[in-house]
Amino acid sequence: MTPSTGPTERARIAEWFSLSGATGPLIGLLLLCAFLSFATDSFLSFRNFLNIADQITVLGIMAVGMTFVILIGGIDLSVGSVLALAMMVLGYLNVVAELPMAVAIAGALVAAALCGAVSGLLITVFAVPAFIATLAMMSIARGLANMITDGSQIIGFPAWFNMGAIIRNFGFLTMTVAVMLVVFVLAILFLRFREEGRSLYAIGGNAEVARLAGIDVKLTTVMVYTVCALLSGLAGVLLAARLDSVQPSSGVAYELDAIAAVVIGGTSLSGGTGSVVGTIIGVLVIGVLRNGLNLLSVSPFVQAVVIGLVIVLAVAAETFKHRTR
Amino acid sequence: MKTILRSLLAATALAAFAGTASAEGVGGISKIGLAVPNLQADFFNQIKLGVEGYAAKLGIEVIAVDAKNDTATQVSQVQDLLTQGIDAFIYIPAGAAAAAVPTRLARAEGIPVINVDREPDGAPGDTVIYGENVMSAYQVCDHLIGLAGGEGKMVVIHGQKGTTPEVQRFEGCKMTIDENPGVELVAQQWSQQWSPDEGFQIAQNMLQANPDISIIFGQADGLAMGAAKAVEVAGMADDVVIGGYDGDGAALESLVACDTPFIVTATQSTQAMGVLAVNAAIAVANDASVPARQIPNAVLTTCENAAQFVEKHP
Repeated sequence: MTPSTGPTERARIAEWFSLSGATGPLIGLLLLCAFLSFATDSFLSFRNFLNIADQITVLGIMAVGMTFVILIGGIDLSVGSVLALAMMVLGYLNVVAELPMAVAIAGALVAAALCGAVSGLLITVFAVPAFIATLAMMSIARGLANMITDGSQIIGFPAWFNMGAIIRNFGFLTMTVAVMLVVFVLAILFLRFREEGRSLYAIGGNAEVARLAGIDVKLTTVMVYTVCALLSGLAGVLLAARLDSVQPSSGVAYELDAIAAVVIGGTSLSGGTGSVVGTIIGVLVIGVLRNGLNLLSVSPFVQAVVIGLVIVLAVAAETFKHRTR
Repeated sequence: MKTILRSLLAATALAAFAGTASAEGVGGISKIGLAVPNLQADFFNQIKLGVEGYAAKLGIEVIAVDAKNDTATQVSQVQDLLTQGIDAFIYIPAGAAAAAVPTRLARAEGIPVINVDREPDGAPGDTVIYGENVMSAYQVCDHLIGLAGGEGKMVVIHGQKGTTPEVQRFEGCKMTIDENPGVELVAQQWSQQWSPDEGFQIAQNMLQANPDISIIFGQADGLAMGAAKAVEVAGMADDVVIGGYDGDGAALESLVACDTPFIVTATQSTQAMGVLAVNAAIAVANDASVPARQIPNAVLTTCENAAQFVEKHP
């Protein structure tokens, strides 16, 4: 990790392509794609890649937020519940209260961000371990999501909302995938070139040293959890568009998928090393794997085993690499 | 009962093939996509077995996917099914919100959409096949209340709130409760997953709050069997009668043994639903008419007649 204060133009470009420890997962992803291309007729097609892009949208956006949290050495177990809460707020504001979609989306994002801010404050001000604080938030947000409609679903969004997830502009880009790509680019730029982005690595490396170096660790931590929750909320809005309905039972165990994607992408659970590019590869590995196993008609039970094995492989490879260094 | 079922099946099969007599193979259907919410639940597993067994006889390939109760996963899986060029789509929506999107996706491909168990609001398939709930639940509760002598304190353990079977099974059971003024409904609670561990926990709490309960209706066999365990743990096995619903494999075997307070259920014709779904798919693909709704009855199952269903699930 070289600080990016004033690199030459060339180094800047080189940095763009550096995968910071994600080369292993990238090779795995390419091998996986190659295997699936030979094993099935339907994998290697433009249409299928568009499907995969659709399918990873929610996970991709949540995993970016999770990357920030894990980079500072934290963990966020509440993202799946926060996603459900944002969806229910969206549905309530738009369908039940009949407010314009823009207001409903803003409301959903604010509700999500508030959850993250509360988790962040619990962690920094009250010194509750991140695992416990976000575990509590997972339960609270899920309960709130259920309370909004007493557990039932909401349907009846305007027709264009679902079309945003279905219509492929210019032949390939759905609105939801476009949002994901924007989030990816902003997150990469932020981590690489912004001072605040670099400070996440410092906090994850050693919070005390970061504090002595003049970084406001507490404020940054609260902001990171807030952004992570905000992104979960955004993912919830996109999921609502994809499903054309909202239900409080959405997003159960999504936090585990997000953590798995981050870990497969080479980000260390102890904080300080990792990258959004790695996470994107991790998300793609999970997305391609699920898609490929479906195309191969692998039994759902076997699929669960295979995905577990891939997580083990990814982490074992990373550990092995560190040991041989 | 068996003969009625069999004639029902034969009639549907005839209707299905009437329009396809001259078509090649099985009416141009060689690959069927089947989206199942959750294979952990025996009910859905039985439907899948029904579809697969019958399709295999006809030489049709079935690709089944399991959404693990997650609507978003199911939408992704349906995209993948369509990529594989399925000729018909049997759709059992996952989660309380039956998503309309899979139906729209399949419609865009112009293939038949057969809904089983529930159908999404605003985007119905070509036909929907679901088990009758109201009358069958009425029969289960009626049997229970009869065994309890027409009076006593009763509790209901509901399934996932807001789902069609949850609403309708309660509707049916409520009819009996209202007919029997001696029966008092003292508590109801909703489960998330229709699972035995939830049934156990909910029943235990209910027994704690109302130690004089004598009738329990669990809206699924899992819930009822969990409740039966809780009643046994509380040492009240002789004072309580429990009814379930669905006729799961494990539940039927428990009824055959007849050694728990769980003594009655309604066995759904799950495998028959799978067969109906395949027939409907073939019929729709060949422009034969199918009824908008096909509603096979569930069969009241007690300790006496459970054995025949263990032998062959309807």
